Amino acid sequence: MSRAPGNGRPAGSAAGDATGAAGSEPDGPARPPLDVVQQWFQAVVTHPAGVAAGAASEAAQGLVRLDRGALERLVRRSSRLTAEQRLGIYANAYYARLLECLRDGFPVLTQVLGAEAFDSFAFDYLQRYPSRSYTLNRLAESFPRFLDETRPDRPPAGESPDAAAAPHHPPRAGNLPHAGRAATAVPPPTWPDFLIDLATLELAIAEVFDGPGAEGEPLLAPADLLALEAGGRFAAARLAPVPCLRLLRFRYPVNAFYSAARAAADAARAEQSTDAGGVDGAGGADLPFPDPAEEHVALSRTDFVVRRHTLSPFESAVLAALLAGATVGEAIAGAAAASELPDGELATQLDAAFRRWTAAGFFLAATVP
Amino acid sequence: MTKPSRLGHANLGLGVGLRAAHFDHILRHQPAVDWFEVISENFIDSAGRPRHVLRQIAERYPVVMHGVSLSIGSTDPLDFAYLAKLKTLAREVGARWISDHLCWTGVLGSNTHDLLPVPFTEATLAHVAARVRTVQDFLERPLVLENPSSYVTFAHSTMSEWEFVSRLAEAADCGLLLDVNNVYVSSFNHDLDPQEFIRSLPHRRIVQFHLAGHADYVTHLIDTHDHHVIDPVWELYRTAHQLTGGVSTLLEWDARIPPFPVVHAEVLKAKRFMGERLPAPEPLAAAAGAGAPQAAVPQAAAPQAAAPHAAAAASLPGAAQVPHPLHHLRPEVV
Repeated sequence: MSRAPGNGRPAGSAAGDATGAAGSEPDGPARPPLDVVQQWFQAVVTHPAGVAAGAASEAAQGLVRLDRGALERLVRRSSRLTAEQRLGIYANAYYARLLECLRDGFPVLTQVLGAEAFDSFAFDYLQRYPSRSYTLNRLAESFPRFLDETRPDRPPAGESPDAAAAPHHPPRAGNLPHAGRAATAVPPPTWPDFLIDLATLELAIAEVFDGPGAEGEPLLAPADLLALEAGGRFAAARLAPVPCLRLLRFRYPVNAFYSAARAAADAARAEQSTDAGGVDGAGGADLPFPDPAEEHVALSRTDFVVRRHTLSPFESAVLAALLAGATVGEAIAGAAAASELPDGELATQLDAAFRRWTAAGFFLAATVP
Repeated sequence: MTKPSRLGHANLGLGVGLRAAHFDHILRHQPAVDWFEVISENFIDSAGRPRHVLRQIAERYPVVMHGVSLSIGSTDPLDFAYLAKLKTLAREVGARWISDHLCWTGVLGSNTHDLLPVPFTEATLAHVAARVRTVQDFLERPLVLENPSSYVTFAHSTMSEWEFVSRLAEAADCGLLLDVNNVYVSSFNHDLDPQEFIRSLPHRRIVQFHLAGHADYVTHLIDTHDHHVIDPVWELYRTAHQLTGGVSTLLEWDARIPPFPVVHAEVLKAKRFMGERLPAPEPLAAAAGAGAPQAAVPQAAAPQAAAPHAAAAASLPGAAQVPHPLHHLRPEVV
């Protein structure tokens, strides 16, 4: 867990040249080759316990063997700062930058947890999933998965759920309930599910915002559906979704919570005057923690703005089947068979749903064999 | 044969770094800015509003692409998929040039998203020069490299930063982006003379200047891009302007970003340090066609007194600042 990202064996001969600073005097400058310098530097400034621990780590010592206090054989001191202090500027910057980026990517989750608790999760995340992309926009892409992998009620491999470790990341006191320990095969949702669902929603919003969309393209209009229906071809049609349409299913009503949290943050911002004209504004008050409740949400984008649409379970099942390539008839039949609602209610929902979906630009076109 | 000044690139005048916080203002008001510089990584993958906005801006203003992830000094292989995306966007927006930093950002496949320093040795010089040439061949245009702010130097460096930069530019036949604030920050941090730094560079290869604010931590300076430009940096700018005869000048403001007119007014302060040696900016109409804004100085944005040297950041609220670069776009959602 505490292993610095990017550690690893240096390439072949480079290690021999560098280890022990071969080729340089015992107290003179270390002269490792560039690849070794870079691997050492990265291991030191990304070490979770800081520069001193990073330089003393097995990974760093395997690259450039420096006795304690001998950092200045590789990094010069300035008139004001030691080598360790100067490296510390990079070490601080590494975590400060990436934690800020993650907070920025999950503003509501940060609001729920508080910045300190969020940073604790994010700090551990960076150990397990250090950035390997040229863009910070992908930094957060594994964060929901990480929350799931490290949930405190997840039993370690080979152990029963009852033997699971105690939570190692207690949520902010008074805000989240204690995790229930379920003995059933499918445990009821608990607060880790809420955090994972909220993170999933915030990540999906960011991905839909900057991913492929359908702005400027012709879309399937409500009138097109009516024409299909009038021609008796509606049930046989397949609907091509816009590329920005995402269907999400949650165990907690995180979309409703997201709306409430944003409203609270907006209200708090309105009461404050910021020196940045709202650019860097944040805020919001504590919100009641929601009870578990299944929630279905479709995300899409029109005019380059992400739109959130709440769906009924039946609507969600129809839409999921359509996205999987089913015909309209197959999608409706499958979803209806799984629903306990009376046919009349389903028909009413369907009629309204297709109207809303086409008005919201969910589909590019219909194809009929 | 002597290279033409600025590698033949036009002096675009006084520009501003394009930031998402200002998208709406720029689209609505079409401010009389000479040109915009964009952070390449914020746009090369975008299929949403950022790229849509950039296309509109590129129709009206000259655009330059400035990257933070090229990692030209790294010993990892070059990322040609990334370079291909740079090339595509450059064509799409008619980028006047493509720049990045003389640094490395990660190794072994990782990206620290920081601009990390290299040791200034003959081996590093050969390594980086070869990579610059490869990148230039791929991009089919000269690369423009910026001196980053740095916070350490290496004990086994055998030459000064300015010697390294100068020799690299000659060896790789590339352009330079002289970040005047970075010269000031690095010189303070490494006990160097910033005037000597600037005077020692190959001035004809300087294509562009950067200006920005930084944070003063007493024992060191950090390149935070969250303040006005301080007077000593403006004085260095005066020197750089005199030595080059004037090149495209750009202000970066990346944290605690004020409203656009404040940022624009900051770069317009450069006029007071130029004397009469600035060649007229390239007419915008040539780049943008009809409807281009006039490159006049708005009355409201007349040069003001340069801000005094920022007090030590440790005494300021919000002192826990993140060094440049931090570029992450917030989604717009309803």
